[in-house]
Amino acid sequence: MKRKDIAMMARSPVISAALRILHRLTVLLVVGIFLIPAVWLLSISFKPPTEWQVFPPNLIPRSPTLDNYIVLFKPEAPKGTAAAMLRVTEPVTKSFLNSIIVVPAATAISVTVGFLAAYAVARFRIGGAFMPFFVLTTRMFPPVAFAVPLLVYYRWLRLIDTPIGLILIYAGFTLAFSLWMTKGFIEGVPRHIEEAAILDGASPWRVLFTITLPIVKGGLAATMLFVFILNWTEFLYALIFTSTKMITVPVQLSHYVGAVGRFYGPQAALGVIASVPVVILGYVIQRYLVTGFSFGLIRR
Amino acid sequence: MAPMTTPILRLQNVKKVFNSFVAVDNVSLEVTEGEFVCLLGPSGCGKTTTLRMIAGLETPTEGEIFLREKRITYLPPQQRGIGFVFQNYALFWHMTVYDNLAFGLRLRRLPVAEINKRVCEIAERFELMDLLKVRAVSLDLSAMQRVAIARTLLTDPHLLLLDEPLNNIRPGLREMMRADLKRMQQELRKTMIYVTHDQEEALTLGDRIVVMNMGRIEQVASPQEIYDLPATLFVAGFIGRPPMNLFDVKYAVEGGHSWLVWRQYRWCVDKVRDRIEAAYPENGLVLGVRPEEIKISYKAPGIHAKVVLVQPLGRKDVLMLELEGETVHGVVPAELCINVGDMVFVEFPPEGMHVFSATTKEAIVHGIS
Amino acid sequence: MRRLVMILKVFPQFLSHEKVFKNLLVLPMQLLLNFLLMPPFAIVIYLAFVNWQPIFGGWTEAPFVGVSNFIRLFSEPRFYEALGRTFVVAIVAVAFEFLLGLGLAVLFSRPFLGRRICTSVILYPMMLPWVVVGFTFYLLFLDHGPVNYVLSSLFGPAGMISWFRNPVPAMTAIIIGDVWQWTPFMFLIFYSALGALPKDPKEAAMTLGANAWQIFRYITFPMIKPVAYVGLVIRALECFKIFDLVYIMTGGGPGVSTETLSLYIYRVAFKYGQLSYAAAVAIIVLLGIALVTRIAVRPLLKEAA
Repeated sequence: MKRKDIAMMARSPVISAALRILHRLTVLLVVGIFLIPAVWLLSISFKPPTEWQVFPPNLIPRSPTLDNYIVLFKPEAPKGTAAAMLRVTEPVTKSFLNSIIVVPAATAISVTVGFLAAYAVARFRIGGAFMPFFVLTTRMFPPVAFAVPLLVYYRWLRLIDTPIGLILIYAGFTLAFSLWMTKGFIEGVPRHIEEAAILDGASPWRVLFTITLPIVKGGLAATMLFVFILNWTEFLYALIFTSTKMITVPVQLSHYVGAVGRFYGPQAALGVIASVPVVILGYVIQRYLVTGFSFGLIRR
Repeated sequence: MAPMTTPILRLQNVKKVFNSFVAVDNVSLEVTEGEFVCLLGPSGCGKTTTLRMIAGLETPTEGEIFLREKRITYLPPQQRGIGFVFQNYALFWHMTVYDNLAFGLRLRRLPVAEINKRVCEIAERFELMDLLKVRAVSLDLSAMQRVAIARTLLTDPHLLLLDEPLNNIRPGLREMMRADLKRMQQELRKTMIYVTHDQEEALTLGDRIVVMNMGRIEQVASPQEIYDLPATLFVAGFIGRPPMNLFDVKYAVEGGHSWLVWRQYRWCVDKVRDRIEAAYPENGLVLGVRPEEIKISYKAPGIHAKVVLVQPLGRKDVLMLELEGETVHGVVPAELCINVGDMVFVEFPPEGMHVFSATTKEAIVHGIS
Repeated sequence: MRRLVMILKVFPQFLSHEKVFKNLLVLPMQLLLNFLLMPPFAIVIYLAFVNWQPIFGGWTEAPFVGVSNFIRLFSEPRFYEALGRTFVVAIVAVAFEFLLGLGLAVLFSRPFLGRRICTSVILYPMMLPWVVVGFTFYLLFLDHGPVNYVLSSLFGPAGMISWFRNPVPAMTAIIIGDVWQWTPFMFLIFYSALGALPKDPKEAAMTLGANAWQIFRYITFPMIKPVAYVGLVIRALECFKIFDLVYIMTGGGPGVSTETLSLYIYRVAFKYGQLSYAAAVAIIVLLGIALVTRIAVRPLLKEAA
């Protein structure tokens, strides 16, 4: 067959169906690979201690158990010597509550403040070349080194172990992300759309909220998701700045260490549970990632 | 009349279905080289979909498309050599005007000097020389349109497809650009297929007009023919501003003569009786008279009517009349100074009376004299 | 009273005045940063120039030692090793994440049945707390873990690798863990950027004769470059500070062979109690990163001019 004939066939219904199948298969393959560690985690969360480190490893637990999950909520309940060495005395609900309060609040503050500032930087070049960069430096500093001085400062402010304290820290440290990510999205909006609105007599506030904001909605959603994840999984500062009242989930996770070794089972179980809210959020956000995200060539 | 030469483009029973919505239904069309064809119709009639299928951006569900008698129905757009100008121009806004223009040529790996020569030639012709280094995103609308068209011309396509390109231009500028477009097409003798919902535009630009409605072709003819001899009720009602006046009439044979009967008036149709009777007139007929053809005067004879609205348009006035409870449009010279509230007499000239079948919606006869 | 009314009337206009508007927008951010992060930062700088050892007293009483902390830093081989290692990890991991993320986003750009669910699955690794990812991969790469199991069934017992006993396999395991966890980030960036692109220019390119690859190279990719670059910078920055993953998987070991910069600082500060030295190291790291990023970011700052 000549090349031209093949080309003419190229769009025939048969070939495009075949290509589609190939496409789906690739997607499935990729998704499968991505799932492996998560599946392994799930598997461990249902295994009794005896199966935690066994060779050859098995995917399906031989004697599946819900103990790992139960122990999260009722630390007093467990049986057996291994569990008795757990340092944890609190059920997981408390840390969950803390995380659920602190993280969304911090995320909202961070993204809002960042978005507003990003608009000023992107459109008006405020702060010149220096300020946006300076904000970025907050992320360049190894958090470990920051820990102690921050601790001293916070003690003076009496913000240790308070929700506000943690919220402020999280908002402050993720601000750089919010700023830079939304800045990128704002810059992708062609200026003439905004200029058209200004010529129509809209105030800058109007333009920002009714014109620019809807267009970058998707970008904002992605930023929000990312900041949320960062805060949800943040460990170091939560560890340092909270003691008993404000423990968050990641810190709780680290507590499942016994004298003998790590308690993989409950840790895995908690890991699984801890990711549920974020996964739900991710699924919901997807709608905004693509739809309603018109790079609207609104012309008149 | 069958074309003498091979048509440059031929659509054969093309049908396009989206998820059980029939966008294009059994469309067949032949386009000769060098023609300016307009696809005209209301929103959603399938004209843009048809255009996209010609370009290859959509694939027909049924039917075939031939370019110079070569089957291109499933050929990808890259290989068709057909230019397309989008409604929003679709310029590559991150590139300069020069890069936009040179894009097609660069893909063909032409030497840089040659590309430069051709781009400059066309930039000269379209008055884009000063804008060559400007980024496409900062152009004004008229410049964008010129770049969009120039860009497609550079690749020397077999034919050019345009999807309502003047839609976003304000009225004053629009007429000018329309004229430029027509002039350019005639100079270059490029076949153009132009989609629009603006009948004035179609009538001005097209050598032939394809009127479409709900996925089907209503009529394909020259602007004059479309206007004078509309083939269907839809075409009759769509073309013309103000639109044709339509009345539901009955057919009666009485006293040895055939009549069209409306209310208490009747018109003799003896001369065209055969044609009418061949079209099952007992199922209902529609009478159409263009506002420009109606005779209006202060003197009898005629049907009594009251002037409800007067729209002065320079040397003519467009009148809205109330006639036996129906709203009728008419056009009179301004000198008559007709005012709202006047009582006038309306006559329908036999040569201006079009008769349509109420069931098939097709024209039976144009003029009853 | 009349004055008040006049002021109220003018207020919205005042707020819309360009100068006021743009400064007002940045105000919250400046407040937050200045009151929250500046003081501790100042303390860190202070600490680097003194010699604070907590057992000897409060930080205000620490003796001044000038730049001796910094001098020590520059002659410390362990520091340079940690630096080099961190570079390697960051570059390799981020490169993979960029390419995989882009590829995945392109793969997902055309709608298909179940796309939402698949996207959620892809995004999942990013959402796990570092701790969890760390020990999941630790478990996966254990001597008698699933990875070795697969290797041994493919290549026989000789194919098994002692992942955590040697520096190179250990770093590889860490990189794999990071890539698994953070490819979703690049994916997210590319996915939302691709989704925002208008369809028309791509179709126009098609009619002009561009095939799929050419469209991607000349149209799609340039359009997402700004966002892609931001994502790249942010991720590289984060990766450079990698801590939690390393801490949990190898603890810096065996010995100190997988010690990254953050881990080095941690050890110095908390294991050896030399907070001042740690502060000095941190500051140098900061300056270094700041310099590099500054150069890398320059094209971005010019972009929207």
